[in-house]
Amino acid sequence: MTIQGPIRPQPFSRIGKPTPRIDGAAKVTGRALYPSDESVPHAAHAFLVTSPIARGRVAGFDLGDARAVPGFLDFLCHENVGGQAKPPKQMAGGETTTTMESDRIWHDGQIIGVVLADSFEAAREAAFKVRIQTEAEPPSATFGSAGTTEEQREDEQKEDFAVGDAEMALAAAPVMLDAWYETPTQHHNAIELFTTTCAWNGRQLTIWEPSQFVYGLRGNVAQQLGIEPADIRVVSKFVGGAFGSKGGATARTAWIAIAARRLGRPVKLVATRDQGFTIATYRAETRHHLRLGANGEGRLTAVSHEGWEVTSRPSFYNVSGTETTARMYAAPNILTRVAVVHADRNTPGFMRAPPEQPYMFPLECAMDELAARLGIDPIELRRRNEPARDPVTGLAFSGRHLMTCFDRGAAEFGWNRRNAQPASMRDGDWLVGLGCAASTYTANIAASTARVTLRPDGQAQVRLAGHDIGTGAYTVVAITAADRLGLPVGQVTVEMGDTEYPPAALAAGSSHTASITHAVVRACDALLAQIATAATASNAGAFAGREPATLSLRDGHLVAPDDSSESLADAVGRISAGAVEAYAENVPDGMPADAIGKLYQGQLPILRGQKRVDMTAYSFGAQFVEVRIHARTREIRVPRMLGAFSAGTILNPTTARSQLMGGMIWGLGSALLEKTEIDQRAARYTNDNIAEYHIAVNADVRRVDVMMLPEPDGAVNPLGIKGIGELGIVGVNAAVANAVFHATGQRVRRLPIRIEDLL
Amino acid sequence: MDIVLTINGRPHHLSVEPRVVLLDALRDRIGLTGTKKGCDQGQCGACTVLIDGQRVLSCFVLAATVTGEITTIEGLAPEGGPLHPMQQAFIEQDALQCGYCTPGQILSAIACVHEGHAGSAEEVREYMSGNLCRCAAYPNIVQAVLQAAPQMDATAGPTSAETV
Repeated sequence: MTIQGPIRPQPFSRIGKPTPRIDGAAKVTGRALYPSDESVPHAAHAFLVTSPIARGRVAGFDLGDARAVPGFLDFLCHENVGGQAKPPKQMAGGETTTTMESDRIWHDGQIIGVVLADSFEAAREAAFKVRIQTEAEPPSATFGSAGTTEEQREDEQKEDFAVGDAEMALAAAPVMLDAWYETPTQHHNAIELFTTTCAWNGRQLTIWEPSQFVYGLRGNVAQQLGIEPADIRVVSKFVGGAFGSKGGATARTAWIAIAARRLGRPVKLVATRDQGFTIATYRAETRHHLRLGANGEGRLTAVSHEGWEVTSRPSFYNVSGTETTARMYAAPNILTRVAVVHADRNTPGFMRAPPEQPYMFPLECAMDELAARLGIDPIELRRRNEPARDPVTGLAFSGRHLMTCFDRGAAEFGWNRRNAQPASMRDGDWLVGLGCAASTYTANIAASTARVTLRPDGQAQVRLAGHDIGTGAYTVVAITAADRLGLPVGQVTVEMGDTEYPPAALAAGSSHTASITHAVVRACDALLAQIATAATASNAGAFAGREPATLSLRDGHLVAPDDSSESLADAVGRISAGAVEAYAENVPDGMPADAIGKLYQGQLPILRGQKRVDMTAYSFGAQFVEVRIHARTREIRVPRMLGAFSAGTILNPTTARSQLMGGMIWGLGSALLEKTEIDQRAARYTNDNIAEYHIAVNADVRRVDVMMLPEPDGAVNPLGIKGIGELGIVGVNAAVANAVFHATGQRVRRLPIRIEDLL
Repeated sequence: MDIVLTINGRPHHLSVEPRVVLLDALRDRIGLTGTKKGCDQGQCGACTVLIDGQRVLSCFVLAATVTGEITTIEGLAPEGGPLHPMQQAFIEQDALQCGYCTPGQILSAIACVHEGHAGSAEEVREYMSGNLCRCAAYPNIVQAVLQAAPQMDATAGPTSAETV
């Protein structure tokens, strides 16, 4: 049964207490099965053949040497299977590049063929022996390359704002800051590779693939192959890092399914690290023109933020973080605009804090620049521009504690020992700089479902097609169910990552915990209602004839307000000697009633914090960074970072802290290390491996402090959950740049900041 | 060619081509999938195993060349038995998120301790930098290594605790 109506408030006893990961033991013993670990007997191995040019067409393949490799089984390309799959649908809408549907080459590294062989080694050898003939055209790599085309992003999915008259206000502003900023191409580089294993059993297809949205992948592959979603099962119990890269379906899956169908045998693909740069998505490079107008006290009179983002030829994918930057500060005149620039590249996609990470960089640097110009402390400048309401819609914020984050963080960080004068602090050979910046991310929630079973011995099982991509989702589901069912966390098992279970939404956009726990609460409440109804309807027992809604579950007992109780075994046993089960759906307030139907089809019904009609809902944070720059070598080190965050209910401080810390370290890497380099002539990624694409290593990371400020926000959703997955990274890049300025007096507006920028 | 690999104290007879690396032999031929493939290029450390107690990147070693005792993550603790102190420390310090790099981190950490490179946080950071963690659990990994190190000192040799 399903309970509708509001989720009843209930005092939490387990939520908010540090709880070790329930999947920790599986992960430290090697028993956790990631999709490519699943045993699929007699699988053939696939190796992708990718395009050596960025633009043109495939003229043909010479397979002589490849076929001669012992163990070679088959070669797929547009000539023999091109018509058998449609391209995957883009979650963000619009078109994307094709792969083997035709001879068209849209970008370097595009999938143009699949070699199948008996072993991984044979498939690899044969793939390298496929001779590819192409007809090449000169490609366009990025901003400024000949042949790119620019178009203004339309208002379909993302909004531009024109509040007041920003141009006039800027012209009249006593103080004006006008600067350009750049952020680079970045790739997720999860340590787990992009893998897909497909097996057919008659009409039934099973796909083992790491995914942030198993129902989405199922719906997409069904659409691509023209088969029923119900005939596809997707299994993804553990995901070895995703960060957005495993959210949307990529082209590879359908081709591996087709390969398995042709061979009549399972097929396993483990794409290589370098292929991962071009067969999935990435964070595109961006440019920004940021203008701030202010009066002499630092009160903003105008904010103008224009962004440019690179995308592929057919896609209009963009992140348009102006939707957030327009809302950060109280300015009476606001102007935003975003354009996309089409180049011969793969289509970009979600990467940790997709809009905010690149777009908050210019705004938070510009605020620091304005503060320096006016001689105002950067925290004080933000305080003077703290908006009472959403500056573009006039709606109230659902909890906006940005200044609390700054004040608490500043006290802990020791901000008061910062000498405001740039290049004034020094420790021996090291120039010391302290910088700060704001973080924010939309509080999102999606429709989701869950099934809960409870046995008379007090063992509960929760099943839903949710995803633990390292976030601790297994554990927060267990905590939530344990809390609601009055059981120890250890008595709850959780199964996720499989379309055999009821659907859960995409694990992304800091929405997953809010989405799935509300469904779990509803399922637990439905379960309790069954038990309570049976107890009160019974002619015997402590609760005969009472009102079911007054009963609750606590410490393995069904209890009434007068503390009379009976054991779970008696209460559950009244319904079944086996187990009681309940399924429930949660459609967040403000979402259409057909949301669950769409979810089952693999669409994503999500309510975004900046699109709500009742309020504007964001999490907030303040980032603090200390940099040390060697006076002669200009080596940049970050001995200390501190983030203070206000993100609503924190279900599990243990995993939440780790996630926020990981986000902050991503921010550090983003500020100082990470950049995908592009060969301008070939439109090709040149550092497509994780030795040359630098992510932070252990020795790069020193002290990282995470403060989670208590913030009951009952308005955003019944459990008050606002999400943390993205919040940790946002603003770190600006805080680092601001600290570099403070240390040296040199303002760097292009990421990553490297030694050569400080010579 | 026919080879014998001694893995977690047990001999495994298998026939492999000379070009098969230890990582693929473990995962595809023997079914020990706790050892992970992250790059196949010796860059990430996810495939770290111990050979005679030394940490080795299994993607960089031809299976046919291995004569020593191999310890994989599956060999650190008997199923259902007590965890190795390093495994326990990784759970207690929440030194993992997605868990994919974790087997390699743990084996590398055990070797790091036995090498005598776990004397300080500074030292651990340096000697654990060959194992990338994209979730960036690094500060917790350092804490886990420092927690487990004194508990491991009680064990006699580099492999005695980790071979079941």
